[in-house]
Amino acid sequence: MRIKGLIFVAVIIGLVFLASWISVDSYLESEIEYQASLANGALVEIDGLELSLVDLKVRWDRLQITNPENTWENSFETGEAELDFLFWPALWERVIIEDIIFKDFRFDSERETDGYFEIPVNEDGEQAEPGFLTTIISDITSEVSANAETKFLDIKADVNVDSLLAILNLQAPNKIDSLKNGLEQKYSKWDSTFTNTDINQEIAGIKKTIDAINIKNIKAVDKVVASIKNVEKLTKQVDSLRTKAQTIRNDFQEDFGDARFSVGRIDNWIRNDYDRALKLAKLPTIDAQNIAQTLFGQELFSDYAGYLEYAAIAREYSSRLTGGEDEEKIARYEGKDYKFSDKYDWPRLWIQNIDISGETKTAIQLAGKITNISSNQSKTKEPIKFDLGGADDGNRSVKVTGEFNYLGEDPKENIRFEYAGFNLAGTKLSPSELLPYELVEGTGQIAAEVNIIDRRIDSRIDYKNQGLQFDFGENPSQGRVQRLIRDAVSSADQINVTALVDNVDGPLKIRIRSNIDDLFVNALKSTVSKEVDQARARIENEVQQRIGDRKEELLAFKDEKEAEIRQEYDKLEAKVNEQLKLVEQKKEELEKRKKEIEEELKKKAADALKKRIGF
Amino acid sequence: MFLILKYISKLLKALASEASPGQIAGGFILGMIIGLTPLMSLHNLVIVILIIILKVNFGMAILSFLIFSGIAYLADPVFHNFGIWLLEKESLQAIWTSMYDNEFWAITKFYNTVVLGSFLIALILCIPMFPLTRVGVVQYRKHIHERVMKTKAMKWLKGTKLYTVYNTYQKVRG
Repeated sequence: MRIKGLIFVAVIIGLVFLASWISVDSYLESEIEYQASLANGALVEIDGLELSLVDLKVRWDRLQITNPENTWENSFETGEAELDFLFWPALWERVIIEDIIFKDFRFDSERETDGYFEIPVNEDGEQAEPGFLTTIISDITSEVSANAETKFLDIKADVNVDSLLAILNLQAPNKIDSLKNGLEQKYSKWDSTFTNTDINQEIAGIKKTIDAINIKNIKAVDKVVASIKNVEKLTKQVDSLRTKAQTIRNDFQEDFGDARFSVGRIDNWIRNDYDRALKLAKLPTIDAQNIAQTLFGQELFSDYAGYLEYAAIAREYSSRLTGGEDEEKIARYEGKDYKFSDKYDWPRLWIQNIDISGETKTAIQLAGKITNISSNQSKTKEPIKFDLGGADDGNRSVKVTGEFNYLGEDPKENIRFEYAGFNLAGTKLSPSELLPYELVEGTGQIAAEVNIIDRRIDSRIDYKNQGLQFDFGENPSQGRVQRLIRDAVSSADQINVTALVDNVDGPLKIRIRSNIDDLFVNALKSTVSKEVDQARARIENEVQQRIGDRKEELLAFKDEKEAEIRQEYDKLEAKVNEQLKLVEQKKEELEKRKKEIEEELKKKAADALKKRIGF
Repeated sequence: MFLILKYISKLLKALASEASPGQIAGGFILGMIIGLTPLMSLHNLVIVILIIILKVNFGMAILSFLIFSGIAYLADPVFHNFGIWLLEKESLQAIWTSMYDNEFWAITKFYNTVVLGSFLIALILCIPMFPLTRVGVVQYRKHIHERVMKTKAMKWLKGTKLYTVYNTYQKVRG
């Protein structure tokens, strides 16, 4: 035994512990801050992070997550927090945290410094394609903001349509053309996939091998057995071809789904152009829907976009983390890992329970829990669930519940939000010029529910305002429209608004209705002439004419190409199935031949025996 | 370069007479185990500690590790197949499962075909390699050492400036 060697080993172990004790905390803190800032798009700061490898604990004094929309504000921050992580999963590079307690949790807190974080440009410089939810958010935001700017009190019916459209620069034709180019590329990719796929060559090879097995010429059992083994190999090969073909089908069906979604937006593009033209001409659509959107759209949907953003973040991270899970890398010949149980089937990250207590920006005490945040729900078999709520002495209450479920084939998000009992005195119900009056008294209640399954969204917001009393000022405007509106709202002591956003039956629909829309519509209709409707019709015709048959052509092109691709796939599938049938048939024939040879051999042996013993 | 020269020099001295054949054979088989099995394995940490604390020849362990690392690249498919055979053997399933379910044994990664296959083959090889190496060292000292020292390569090595510097350093160091 080398004493020096023993001392050396002891010193090395001591140094490793010392180095990790000194440097891990600061390294870990900066690394977590950097990665989290990248993910958040704005600075994430952790103060006083400590990692104890002996107790397997992580604690920090303060955590701040900057709001990317306003870098002088935190989306939320926490005070002191401590969490335990499990030892054995850490050896498998898995972080499993059973329980975290966040005290002094605060939403929308102010920052002492700017939380701007410059995101480094990707090496490949490619911009990620916006996700489905991001597109929905952008569609809603653009529609609502367009409506919010609608002027109802300065309408002119005398419109020069040509010069109006010349200024306007219609966007739908270009968007449709570029969509068509995109689809052409996508479909030509599928054409070349079917042309270049090696499935056909493999099928030819399999066919050749099957044809080469001449059963009649096989006379010995060992040759039959060898041929059966060959055929079994062919069965596996055909099975793998079938999987390949199915993968192709899944991929093109996914592409078709994307194409359907994109094509579904064409009507929105055309309508946007038309709406922009009307707005430029200062010709609003005077109907209950438009009035309600103008009155309440911006207020309602700014919060709504926030809920969707949380869902979008959850979905993006779910797919990003799941994609990188257990990636196989083969450096040297790495062999194969055998699984004897699912004991170590942990996700990379799993926070089983977070207990939160704190307060909202509006000083409502909030408490609740978030459970099962994980990088791979199929491993935890649990969706992310959250349930937070609280109330204050003034009867205000808030509740947020929901579930992000990525266990099934289609990702599902559900968020429910309720905020009730808030005081409306001194506020305006709407930023619109139609309802510019402050409230003297009133209380509000808002309830929202968003359900998203894959690319289908179904959501509802209910906004109820009760006990309303408006302050019309000492010298209110004496314009006819304003007077009619004042008369209408002064008699209403409650205003209820319902907003529905869904794409369940096709393209995205945004509908808002309130109990005062009709009052406004009547007031406005009685003040504007029929000329407005005529001018609108002229603009609509002109917009349609300039867009031409692009939409119909594109739809026809899409249907035709997709039918062609499906036909190609059906041919391929039929070929694979035919080969499978041939292989099975050959196997049966070989089994039969084997039995025949065995019977012949038995018979010969029996005859020989009989001869020997003289029967 | 200096480090390599140091170990070549030590190895040559050890082969000549300094170390016992058992120490050299010990270094050889321990280096062989590390070389044949995937480097980043828990058992290799144990082997390295054994090399440090046991009186085996360090230079021979390094030489053996380098040689067998090269061999392992070629032999990995054999290890893999041997590993498959062991891990799929019906009578051993209970052992593998209980080892897999025990966290300590699981971090040894003996559920991996190459780790298990190469480790067991390396252990089996130790049985003939230890006495063979011992005999080899004795035979080397008797018949080959003198001739090796007279080869052009050795003369060239001894003639290099770096070797002279190293030798002077060793003498000064005592």
